[in-house]
Amino acid sequence: MLAQPSKSAAATVEAPATAREGSPWTGLWAVVAKEMADYLTSTRMFILELITVLTAAGTVYSAAQQLRTTVGQDQFLFLRLFTTAQDPLPAFVGFLVFLVPIIAIALAFDAVNSEFSQRTMSRLLAQPIYRDALLFGKFLGGLFTLSLVLSTIWLLITGLGLLRLGVPPGGEEAARILWFLLLTIAYGGVWLALALLCSIVFRQPATAAMTALAGWLFFTIFWDILAKMLAQLISPVRIGTASELIAQAQTQMALTRISPNTLYGEAAVGLLNPAVRSLGLVLPSQMDQAVPGAPLPLGQSLLVVWPQLTGLAAITILLFALGYVLFQRQEIRA
Amino acid sequence: MRRLLSLLAVGCLGLLVGAPAAFAQGATTPPPVQGLTLFTRFPSEEVALGDAISFPLVLRADSAQIAQLSLRDLPKGWTATLRGNGKIIQSAYVNPGEDASVDLRLDPPKDVASGTFKMSVVASGASEVALPLSVMIEQKLPPSLEFSADLPTIRNAPGSTFTFNTTLKNAGDTDLTVNLVAQAPNGFDVKFSTAGQDVTSLPITANSSKNITVAVSTPSDAQAGSVPIQVKAEGGDISADIALTAEVVGTSKVNLTTPDGRLSGDAYIGASTPFTLEVRNTGSAPAKGITVSASPPAGWKVDFSPAQIDSIPPGDQVEVTASVHPADQAVAGDYVIGFSARPAEGSTSSADFRVTVLTSTLWGIVGIGLIAVAVAVVGLAVMRFGRR
Repeated sequence: MLAQPSKSAAATVEAPATAREGSPWTGLWAVVAKEMADYLTSTRMFILELITVLTAAGTVYSAAQQLRTTVGQDQFLFLRLFTTAQDPLPAFVGFLVFLVPIIAIALAFDAVNSEFSQRTMSRLLAQPIYRDALLFGKFLGGLFTLSLVLSTIWLLITGLGLLRLGVPPGGEEAARILWFLLLTIAYGGVWLALALLCSIVFRQPATAAMTALAGWLFFTIFWDILAKMLAQLISPVRIGTASELIAQAQTQMALTRISPNTLYGEAAVGLLNPAVRSLGLVLPSQMDQAVPGAPLPLGQSLLVVWPQLTGLAAITILLFALGYVLFQRQEIRA
Repeated sequence: MRRLLSLLAVGCLGLLVGAPAAFAQGATTPPPVQGLTLFTRFPSEEVALGDAISFPLVLRADSAQIAQLSLRDLPKGWTATLRGNGKIIQSAYVNPGEDASVDLRLDPPKDVASGTFKMSVVASGASEVALPLSVMIEQKLPPSLEFSADLPTIRNAPGSTFTFNTTLKNAGDTDLTVNLVAQAPNGFDVKFSTAGQDVTSLPITANSSKNITVAVSTPSDAQAGSVPIQVKAEGGDISADIALTAEVVGTSKVNLTTPDGRLSGDAYIGASTPFTLEVRNTGSAPAKGITVSASPPAGWKVDFSPAQIDSIPPGDQVEVTASVHPADQAVAGDYVIGFSARPAEGSTSSADFRVTVLTSTLWGIVGIGLIAVAVAVVGLAVMRFGRR
């Protein structure tokens, strides 16, 4: 149902630059607004939000309860709200590691293929909207929805913390909490891009959802085990010298860092615990005469987690680029 | 005693037998005398110049009479006073069997010379008796003070207390109240004490001595050298001096700090950061041959310029620049470096310096570059695959 199918098919490979008329971003914000409106009114979103808010309220309430009784003097009391675990509840960060991917996958697993199955894709592209704008709009709509949900939860936690602890967060703490929000959005972006990619590749939404969830399950449970086994294969310990052990540990660490879960967990620790000075393997010689427990300034903490943060952002962009290329080459006249 | 007891027993018996007779017999204790008697127990006295001279006189008679008392051969300028019951008298009534006591007081003139003076007391009643008396006046020693010290010169470090043990002797025959005065340079505090008590004046009886402790507290910034301390003891018109010497031994005291006192700083990994240290000599003698060194964490490099200081005069300071090069493997955060300055003689001064290691933002820029590459890939894809 495209306007000029013959011309576009002929010009695709030869001269794409000349085939384009106007900006590829035309109609982008219309798509974003429509997508967000769809997401925020859907039942799926409501259930996910409910779970997240309940988790946030429960963990933070119990964390505050514990902080009130145990911690007397802490420079970074507010950051403890995110990381303090009390039996049987894990810390809020621990919940986020597997809740954020589920929300992101749930948002995007049927973003593209549902348009095909509902036969609305041709109708949509008959509008003066490029495919670029459609895909960008779908991704940004998901990302903004995710950001909105996460920001709400962050505000909820801060409010609960103010109520339960009775102290406002300091400037440094507030900055760290904001950076942590940014990190969590970047982490959600990875899974959003992955789910979007799956929805482009697979025509069946169920298949796409299952594939994305399989990826999540793989990185959550199996990758750590696999990384350990691979490290033993790549850098085996033959004699048992220190250098061999260090090499193996470093290989294993490098392999686990392929997983966005690991990147997110490390970066979260670096941001929320100012005393963390390095996320890698630290030799005793490096900590010679070091002052233990001295908090790093925010700038230094950011430098410590910067590879993780940029890594997550880069994975998101690359996954999106891959999905974009696949989508652009797809036959949509079905 | 036994005699007295038996006498008492006899008296009691007599009381039972014939009371009046026994009573009359018991009262006549002094032996019967012939006429009037005048005596004193010690008729010859030896006294010091200025001392009061007195003789207790006793009159005894066998019959009641009035005895006129007078002095004969009294030396010129002397005055004699006779006192009975505290009143000045000229005569005394003497009852038989009862002694009359009279005190004779002699006052020699102020300028009396030493020597033996003789005179007689004459009592004339029914008969006349004379009692010769002799007074030997001894010349008194002139008042004098002697001040001596066991150890008049003491060596000690500045800031400590120099303790001199001195003896002040009153060699004269007069009791004296002595004021103690010290002359010492500014900043030197002199205190006197005897028997554990701080004193500035003290009484010394004639021909005795007192141990006086002179404690001189020196200022901690006192210059090395001999400090004379004059101590003067003044009593009445006379005085005694003693010269004490406090030999202040010069010591050098090296203190390592920074010009503004701040013992922390930032250093970047992979770069040398200069920190300015200050070696200060707070002692009283020049500090010589000072070596500045550091105990850095493993893998760190610390260079000093200058690493060796020849000499620092007392109260002066020298700035030392320490360039700290953190190890390439150092992690961001706080490390402690110990700096120390060791003089050739004397104790080492050290200071713990807290260095906050900062990682360079280079890798942050690299990360941003990576993202830029990823965005460029998307941009390329848009250009390459963008279609109607």
